[in-house]
Amino acid sequence: MRPAGSDPRGWRKRFLPEALRKRFRLKTSRPERLRLAGTLRGLLHPLAAVLLGLIAGAIAILAVGGSVVETYVEMWKGAFGSFYYVTTTLARATPIMLVGLGVALAFRAGFFNLGAEGQMLLGALCAAIAGLYLPGPPEWRTIAALVAGVAAGAAWSLLAGWLDLKFRLNLLITTLLLNYIAGLFCSYVVAFPLKDTSGSSGMAQTEMLEKAVWLPKLFPGMILHAGFVFAVVLTLLLFLFLRHTVKGYELRMLGSNPLFAVYGGVRRGALLAIAMLASGGFAGLAGAAEVLGTQYRYIDNALTSPGYAWSGIMAALLAGSHPLGTAAAAILLAALQTGGLGVERNTDVPLEIASVIQATLILFVSARFTLALIRRRKARAADGPVV
Amino acid sequence: MDQLFDVSLFNSTLRMVAPILLAALGGAICARAGVFNVALEGWMLTAAFAAIVGNHFFHNVWLAVLFAVACVTVLALMFAVLTVHLNANVIVVGLAFNFLATGLTAYGLFAVFGVKGSFYDRNMVGLPRWNIPLLKDIPFVGDVLSGHSPLVYLAFGLAFALQFYLFRTVWGFRLLAAGEHPAAAASVGLRVNRIRIGAILLSGMLCGLAGAQLSLGQVTLFTENMTAGRGFIALVASMLGQNNPLGVMLASLLFGLTDAFGIRLQGFSLPAQFTMMVPYVMTLAAMFFFKDRAYLRQSGRIGDR
Repeated sequence: MRPAGSDPRGWRKRFLPEALRKRFRLKTSRPERLRLAGTLRGLLHPLAAVLLGLIAGAIAILAVGGSVVETYVEMWKGAFGSFYYVTTTLARATPIMLVGLGVALAFRAGFFNLGAEGQMLLGALCAAIAGLYLPGPPEWRTIAALVAGVAAGAAWSLLAGWLDLKFRLNLLITTLLLNYIAGLFCSYVVAFPLKDTSGSSGMAQTEMLEKAVWLPKLFPGMILHAGFVFAVVLTLLLFLFLRHTVKGYELRMLGSNPLFAVYGGVRRGALLAIAMLASGGFAGLAGAAEVLGTQYRYIDNALTSPGYAWSGIMAALLAGSHPLGTAAAAILLAALQTGGLGVERNTDVPLEIASVIQATLILFVSARFTLALIRRRKARAADGPVV
Repeated sequence: MDQLFDVSLFNSTLRMVAPILLAALGGAICARAGVFNVALEGWMLTAAFAAIVGNHFFHNVWLAVLFAVACVTVLALMFAVLTVHLNANVIVVGLAFNFLATGLTAYGLFAVFGVKGSFYDRNMVGLPRWNIPLLKDIPFVGDVLSGHSPLVYLAFGLAFALQFYLFRTVWGFRLLAAGEHPAAAASVGLRVNRIRIGAILLSGMLCGLAGAQLSLGQVTLFTENMTAGRGFIALVASMLGQNNPLGVMLASLLFGLTDAFGIRLQGFSLPAQFTMMVPYVMTLAAMFFFKDRAYLRQSGRIGDR
């Protein structure tokens, strides 16, 4: 950052967040009223998207001859029908939120990290191994397992970042490829060297963790565990980080206009490393919390088949990579999924109705990106002729 | 070694390579026109499903292929409108289409056939096998090259045709110009947007053929998520081939060979996980040798020309 002083084109005034504007002694403008209107407008699009998703879902329900009202009632009951179902939905939302937050951080900085699945799986496996084989008192091992999970996810993610920085490999493709490699590797580890041979199931899984190592449950008899608290706290922390710190601002600026950011003295390499470490760490934590809080062991395919990682990416896309929005979208997606299970239990409509609604949501949201761009294009046209 | 490399290895390579090659050609055309298309995977999956649906209702394998191509063309049109006309982020829209394809095909499987997971009908007729006269009588070559579905031959034919189209015809040059420097192309009167939409539609048709070959070529069935990452492999193959149709063909052959080879190695009691890893590791290794200039430009590390 250059020191305070001249601002010939008014860039600082336009682009700097409040914290920095104060540093440069620029006037903070934008009255509260306008900001409120902006928030409301921000809420309008997601609501419209949800509505459109539900309409598409209704068409799909009619296509298989189901009753729309009955199906949606069952879906609501399956997701929020009782305290038990609410906690189940939140438990399902936990890994989606954690993955989504990490991905949102990377997306904000313009890094398309699609490797959340591999990062989550390695995090889960390492957490299981640490919880099983490290010495020491159980509480200590719980913490060690969480740390191991975060570290594994972060390291795998950083590998992709390093390949980008050092060898200029396309991040989007490397993260995607590393998913498959990590998934197959984890599946090998639990199918051969660390396979649980004590039971008779013959499934590819590790041994079960001691009960003392498990993450505590939030309510007796419910599956919601302490991982959800981590997710909520991290949501708030990430929100504050992006909004009120210089590094957070640099991340956002790099995402919205890389050339401008680099011109302004932002170091892409350092930010890439931070963003990848953090997003991989989030994904690793998601895997670790799932192993320590729900599964109590690493089971092959137990994390991939519910599609936690891809749901997390969807949540981030739905919310335009806003941390609070991502958390809300994660709960919405989890509710659709648990609701879908309820629909399948009680009606003839299959649970895939949830994925139809999800897909429509996401497609409509890409159109939202579009509206913002049309507005920007119009603004540019008002400024004068552009190439 | 004799057991590792024999006629059926190369024969199955050609068969497995066809869907990847068709999709990769689609990716290459898009990339040449300046659109980074990550929707290949979803389009291929949709086409695989549409081909089975078409076959089920029309009882004609050619109408099924046409139906698959038509369905994906509609998707491609949506993609084109969103990205070219409305300027949406290409990668976000591409990913959205992939999600859409997984959801819709799984739901459609239940809605149309009333089954979950996979659909198989033994009465359904797949694509015919063409035995090439004369060629099929040559000992080794005949066994490798003959007896494939028409789409396999079409895939390789299209690679040559597209090479000619891109580098030997005026229309090809226009497409290259639109991707290379849109502003310059527009300044000499080319309709860049139209060219891009055309490229996206062509890419959609190619993905339609790829999906049809996948579900009607070797086996006649559809399973949920049956593309299993082939679209992304195709994307890398088009990068590896530097978006030259013939280069893309060689890259796809490489991937097909590792794929077939991986299946073969399973017979040697190597853990299946490692053999399945081979194509992905090779793709990663291949990326070291071929740099993606568009990616570097877009992330601000080399200047615009």
